[in-house]
Amino acid sequence: MTDCLLCHRDNFQQPTLWQLFNFQPIEPTLLCQTCLNAIDAIPADQACSGCGRLCSKSVCDDCLRWQEPQDFKNRAMFQYNALLRQFMSQYKFYGDYQLRKVFQTKLKREVAQFKADFVVPIPINPATQQQRGFNQVAGLLEQVETVDGLKTLHRDKQQPQSAKNRQQRMQTQQPFTLNLDPEKFNKKRVLIVDDIYTTGRTIRHAAMLFQSAGATEVMGLTLAHG
Amino acid sequence: MQATQLFGRQLIATDVSVEPSWQSQLVRRPAMIFNGQWAICQRCGRKTVKQTVQLPEGDYYCPHCFQLGRVTSNQWLWSLPETNQFRRQADSPLSWSGELTPAQATCSQNINQVFIAGRTHLLWAVTGAGKTEMLFYGIEQALMKGLRVGIASPRVDVCLELAPRLKAAFASVPQAVLYGEMDGSYDYCQLTICTTHQLLRFYHAFDVLVIDEVDAFPFAADPGLHYAAEQAKKETGALLYLTATPSRALLRQERQKKLTVSYLPARYHGYPLPEIRVKLTSRWRQTLTKHRLSGGLNRALKQIVANQRRFLLFVPHVNDLSILESVLQRQFPTMSMVTVHASDPDRHEKVQRMRDGQLDCLITTTILERGVTFANIDVVVLGADDAVFSTAALVQIAGRAGRKAAHPDGLVIFFADSQTKAIKEACHQITFVNHKARKEGLIGHHD
Repeated sequence: MTDCLLCHRDNFQQPTLWQLFNFQPIEPTLLCQTCLNAIDAIPADQACSGCGRLCSKSVCDDCLRWQEPQDFKNRAMFQYNALLRQFMSQYKFYGDYQLRKVFQTKLKREVAQFKADFVVPIPINPATQQQRGFNQVAGLLEQVETVDGLKTLHRDKQQPQSAKNRQQRMQTQQPFTLNLDPEKFNKKRVLIVDDIYTTGRTIRHAAMLFQSAGATEVMGLTLAHG
Repeated sequence: MQATQLFGRQLIATDVSVEPSWQSQLVRRPAMIFNGQWAICQRCGRKTVKQTVQLPEGDYYCPHCFQLGRVTSNQWLWSLPETNQFRRQADSPLSWSGELTPAQATCSQNINQVFIAGRTHLLWAVTGAGKTEMLFYGIEQALMKGLRVGIASPRVDVCLELAPRLKAAFASVPQAVLYGEMDGSYDYCQLTICTTHQLLRFYHAFDVLVIDEVDAFPFAADPGLHYAAEQAKKETGALLYLTATPSRALLRQERQKKLTVSYLPARYHGYPLPEIRVKLTSRWRQTLTKHRLSGGLNRALKQIVANQRRFLLFVPHVNDLSILESVLQRQFPTMSMVTVHASDPDRHEKVQRMRDGQLDCLITTTILERGVTFANIDVVVLGADDAVFSTAALVQIAGRAGRKAAHPDGLVIFFADSQTKAIKEACHQITFVNHKARKEGLIGHHD
């Protein structure tokens, strides 16, 4: 791979001395240095513990308003800036499935820290699956063992979340149902993974289901917050 | 779907239906074919290692042309044959009343021959030679025969500048202008002006296809677009390339007898191209970070300002724009200037203001290297030794000066920390064409 997957410019990588003398295989980065530099990571210790946004307080005002589900904590890895927007649009809306690999290793490391019993990707409805050909969250989690613990209630969506405003998003009804026997999640730690945390509505709907199934802890992990 | 929407077009879908009378004529081709480890997209012709582009359910997709809708191997490319359902015109549709110089007229005749014979041809004419006007005769003849004509350019700015000129020249012919961010939908028209990316949506549509500025990005660098151009014309159709700075690859095709070339080394107004003056600077960018201008640059700009000339100032990178602007504003407080770059939302408006003479100076990246005409300007390039300035780019930039007959002169100054091959070749090319034009007697008749 010689071109950056996002900006399509030449992606020549100068190996560092450390890499040379390490005698380990060099993992090719799929993005060029310019694009990589444009990614804004959110350090875990500077983030809101509720939603994962970059925040000076330990819990942001938005999360104080959230009553349901109680004690839900989400970790967001990156800020949803211009580069992440471009990434998501090319990956999800144009369907460039190769891009799933860009964050796989980082995501795998992040997931491992949660020590969850089950990792559940947010599902997409069958109509989108048919049209897009892949579930974008499952693609990001390719290197992780996951459980399809959720399914969508409806075959297709009237309106995608991204086309709604905040108020409309907040009024969204529960879109999911458990895909497996609720017993399975009883007294277990469940990690729900999604691509973007915007208002928190989607992932919190999913979390409610596992909490009522008796999970001891339900956590969230999203690639981006914005 | 209406049949007219599919004449000479290709649509990716699993299934398509049109009016019953046309349904049987529908042609479907597989969207991707496979050859060993390769998956080959049938829309852009580019191949990819199969396993890198496999979707979870086993289909494959093309990662090269997804911007126009993703091609997936479980789909088909649907099209209807182009049958040229246009009104034949007995009268000439050409409403242009200008006149060609003898040299232009010869090229114009050549082009007409190429269109009739359905050949592949390169018109190599210097910047400001009047390429568009030379096309008019050939296009007129083609339109009168009921042929479908397409004019494509890699640059959307070039398309948007061409469209009104062609509209004015062929007022009675319906014309479609297609580009990525356009409003409105596709119309079936005899005359189509589009970006080269849009050609990916055509299949055996054009009897005559012209590609303006072939050496420009992204056409030059993207083999998928070359494939698209070949596919967009009919198998018997003519393909005409226009440029002032043909690439080596294109000239190689001439030697391989894959295309013919006609050559026009002089501008329509019969004055030579302004020659490039190269001035060496010493670490101009470092000087600039200290909010000063290099000595030579300062003197040159003072001179230009004292002569009350308007000028274009090219820089290698977007990051150089703002600092240079602030330094210039301090140095020349009375001068009105703006900066422009590729992702500038007000780009078109700023260029228009420069064209209208409201601005004294436009500081720009290479986006304005071609396809734009300003009357009576000087051209300054800062950091001409930077890798972003290829020979072609430098020749095109130098070609922004002296384009109008009323003001055939203009200063072209390159500032560089060191001589590069690109700079030398650009200077050489300009001297060479001027020399050649003089020898052929094309300079000095001043009409």
